[in-house]
Amino acid sequence: MHTAWTQDATLLAAILATLLPFLAFVLIMVATRSWPRLSAGLSIAAVTVSLGCAVFLLEAHWNLEKPIQYTARWLVSGDINIPLGYLLDPTSLLMLTTVALISFLIQVYSLGYMAGDPGFSRYYAFLSLFVWAMMCLALAPNLFQLYIFWELVGLSSYFLIGFWYEKFSASQAGKKALVMTRVGDVSLLLGILLVLLHLGNLNILEIDSPEVAAHMSPNLLTLSALLIFGGIIGKSAQFPLLTWLPDAMEGPTPVSALLHSSTMVAAGVYLFERLFPFFLLSPVAMTVGLAIGAVSMLMAATMAMVSRDMKQILAYSTISQLGFMIMGLDAGSFFSGVFHLTTHAGFKALLFLCAGVFIHKYATNDIFELARQGGRSLKIPMTCTLIGAAALAGIPPLSGFFSKEAILAGLADLSNPVWLAAGLLGVFLTAYYAFRLIFILLFPRTAMALAGAAKVAISPKDRNPPWPPFEKGGNRPSSPFSYGATNTSPFPNGGTKNSPFSKGGPRGIFTVKSAEANAHGPGGPHSGHAAGQHRRVYWVMAWPLIILAGITVMLGFLQSPLETFLGHQYPAVALPEAAHIVWLPYLALILTIGGVGLAWAEFGRRDARQVGFVERIPVLYRLFTERWYLDHFYRLLVDRVIDRGIATLFFENDNKVIDGSIDGMCKGTVAMGRLLAFLNSAMIQYRLLATFAVLVLLSLYLFLKF
Amino acid sequence: MIVPFGHVLLLAGVLFLLGLFCAVARRNLIMMVLGVEIMLNAASIVFVAAALHWKQLEGQVFVLFILAVAATEVSVGLAMIVYAYRRTGSFDPGAYNLLQ
Repeated sequence: MHTAWTQDATLLAAILATLLPFLAFVLIMVATRSWPRLSAGLSIAAVTVSLGCAVFLLEAHWNLEKPIQYTARWLVSGDINIPLGYLLDPTSLLMLTTVALISFLIQVYSLGYMAGDPGFSRYYAFLSLFVWAMMCLALAPNLFQLYIFWELVGLSSYFLIGFWYEKFSASQAGKKALVMTRVGDVSLLLGILLVLLHLGNLNILEIDSPEVAAHMSPNLLTLSALLIFGGIIGKSAQFPLLTWLPDAMEGPTPVSALLHSSTMVAAGVYLFERLFPFFLLSPVAMTVGLAIGAVSMLMAATMAMVSRDMKQILAYSTISQLGFMIMGLDAGSFFSGVFHLTTHAGFKALLFLCAGVFIHKYATNDIFELARQGGRSLKIPMTCTLIGAAALAGIPPLSGFFSKEAILAGLADLSNPVWLAAGLLGVFLTAYYAFRLIFILLFPRTAMALAGAAKVAISPKDRNPPWPPFEKGGNRPSSPFSYGATNTSPFPNGGTKNSPFSKGGPRGIFTVKSAEANAHGPGGPHSGHAAGQHRRVYWVMAWPLIILAGITVMLGFLQSPLETFLGHQYPAVALPEAAHIVWLPYLALILTIGGVGLAWAEFGRRDARQVGFVERIPVLYRLFTERWYLDHFYRLLVDRVIDRGIATLFFENDNKVIDGSIDGMCKGTVAMGRLLAFLNSAMIQYRLLATFAVLVLLSLYLFLKF
Repeated sequence: MIVPFGHVLLLAGVLFLLGLFCAVARRNLIMMVLGVEIMLNAASIVFVAAALHWKQLEGQVFVLFILAVAATEVSVGLAMIVYAYRRTGSFDPGAYNLLQ
C-alpha cells in the first residue's frame, strides 16, 4: 500500500488539496504571524494548489462511474472500525471544486479588503483552517470524519465572525452562532450515534445503500433521519435556528461571502446530498424537511424585504435560498438541489463581494446611505451586483434561472400542490427583494427615502447612526464609534442599543442586530492609502468579481453536462423523472417579472417614494424587522426555561445538595466533638493520676500473675 | 560497689514517688514538668546502678538516651507552656478548659 499511493495521481492530488491549507494554517500561526504579506502569500499559494488539484480531480473523473474510496484505519475498537480517508464521487468533487474556487477568489479579494488590518495574518490563518476543514468535510468517506470537520468548520466560522473581537457585537454574534449551531450539532451527533449503533459503521456508501433498511426499522430510520436533519437545520440556518446567520454578518465581508453564504452554510445541504438515499427511505423526514425548507424560505424572504442593511438582506436571502435547496432535495430531485447549491455559491459570493466593495468604499451598510453617497458610480461592482441579483431573482440567461427551474420542476412532481405554490411565492418574493436592493442602489432619492422611513416610525438615525464624514486619519474610522457604542451601553444590552424596540425587549446574545452598519471597520484600512494604491486595491477586489460574474453567466448553460456528471451519483436510487410541465417556466418567469415590476413601481420609478408595501403596514413591518420575534422567543426561552428553570435547579442542587452534604458532614463532626467533650474533665492532672493508677494496678496484676 | 544495690533502688523509688506526687498534685504546669523530669531521673539512677551491678554497659547507654529525650521534652514542654500562658494568662492546668 505504501508504495502505491505515490504513484496514484488521484490520491496524491486529494492529499495535496486537503493538506496544504492546513500546513499554511499551522505555518502562519506558528511562524509568520508578524509578516502579513508572507502569511497571505502562503495561504493563497496553498489554496491555489488546492484549486489546481480540485480541478484536476474533477477533470480526471468527469466520467466517473463508481465512487473511488481511499481509507486508512484510524480508530479500531472492538467491532467498530472508524477509518479516515477520501471519498471521490461526483457530488464531493463538485463541492470540492466549488469550495476551492470560491476560497481562492475570496482570498485574492481579501488582499484588497483586509489590507492594513492589524489581524491580517490571523485572518489568513483562519481562512486556511476553514478551507482545510471544508475540503476534508467534502471528501469525507464516513460520517465520523464528516462530523469532525463539520465541527472544525463551525469553529473557524466562530473565529471569523468574531474576527474583530474588540467589538462587542461581533464577539456576541460569534458566540450566538456557535451556541445555535451547537444545538443542531447535538442532534446530528445523536443521529450519527443511532446509525452507528444499528449499522455498526458510519461508511457513507453503506448508509446510502439500500441494506440500511434491513438493519433499521422504519421508525428508527425516520428518527435518525430527523436527528441528522436537525444538524442540517443548525448549520444551514433553517427555520427554528435561523437567526444566527444575519448576526454572523458582523464578520468581515469576504468571510460572509465565503462561509456564510456559499460554502459553510451549504455544508448542511451538502450533508443532505451525501445521505440523499438514506433520507429517501423515510417519507416522514422528507415531508418535515419540505415543510422546514418552505417555512425558512418564505420567512427569510419576508425579512429580506424590509431590511436596510445590505449584508443582512443578502444573509436573509442566503437562508431563503438554502431553504429552497432543501425543498428541492426533499422533493426527491437530487440534481436540482446540487445544481442550485453550486449556482447559488457562485452568485451569492458575487453579491457579497460586491457588497464588500461598497462597504469598503463608503464605510456603511445601509443601502439608502450607500445610494446617497453614490454607490452606482462604482461601475464594476454595480454591474456585478446587477448580474448577481438577476441570477438570484432567476432572470433567464443567468445561472439562477436554470437551477430554480429545476427545483420548481421537482416540486411540481409532488402530489401536494402546496409546495409548488410556496416555491412560486418564494420566487416572487426573491425577485422583489433582490430588485428592491438594486433599484435603491441605482436610483438614490435621499429626501424621500428619509421621509418614508420616518413615517414608519424608525428613522434612519435610530437604526443607523450617522457615519462620521469620511475620515482621512488613517486609523480605523469605526473604532471611536464602536467603542463609544459599546462603552455607553450596559453590558447585556450592548448589541441592541440602536434598536428602537430594545426597551424591555430581549437582551444579550440573541439580539445582536444590524451587523456592521453600527460600527465596524473594514472601511478604515484603505483610508490611509495613496491614490494609486487605492486603485490597485480596487482592482484586486474587482477581478474576483468579474470572474464570479462570468461564472454566474456561464454556469446555467452547463446544466446538461452537470446533469450527466451527477447522474452517476446514485444509480441505485430510481430518481423520479422530472415531469416537464410546459407552463411552469413561464409561470415562474411571469412571477419573477411581477416581483421585479413591483420593486420597480415602489423603488425604481421616477416619482417612486422608495417605501415598500410592507412598510405601510406597521404590524407586518415590525414583525419582519424583528425577525418574526424569533429572537424574542429565544430570549424568553433562555430566560424562562434555562435561566429560571434549569439553571435555578442546578444552582439549588449545588447550594442545597452538594454544599449541604459537605456542610452537614462538618456539622456532624462538630456535634460529635461536642458530645465527646462531656467526657472531658478539663484537668490534666486527673488524667495523669488515672494513668498512673492504671499502670500501678496493671503492674501489680502482672507481678502477681507470673 | 560501696553503696549496696538495694539502697540505690530505694532512693530511686523515693525519688520516683516524689516526682509522681509533684506531677499529679501541684497546680502549676512548670512544676508538673519538673515532676516528670524527676521521675525520669529516678529511672536513670536505676539504670546506672543496674549497669554497675551486672557489669553491663547498656544501662549507661540508655541513660544517655534518656537525657536527650528529657532535654527535648523540657524544651518542647516549656515552649508549649509559654504559649499556653500567653493564651490564658495562667499556669493553672485547670484554666485550660476550652473544650468544656
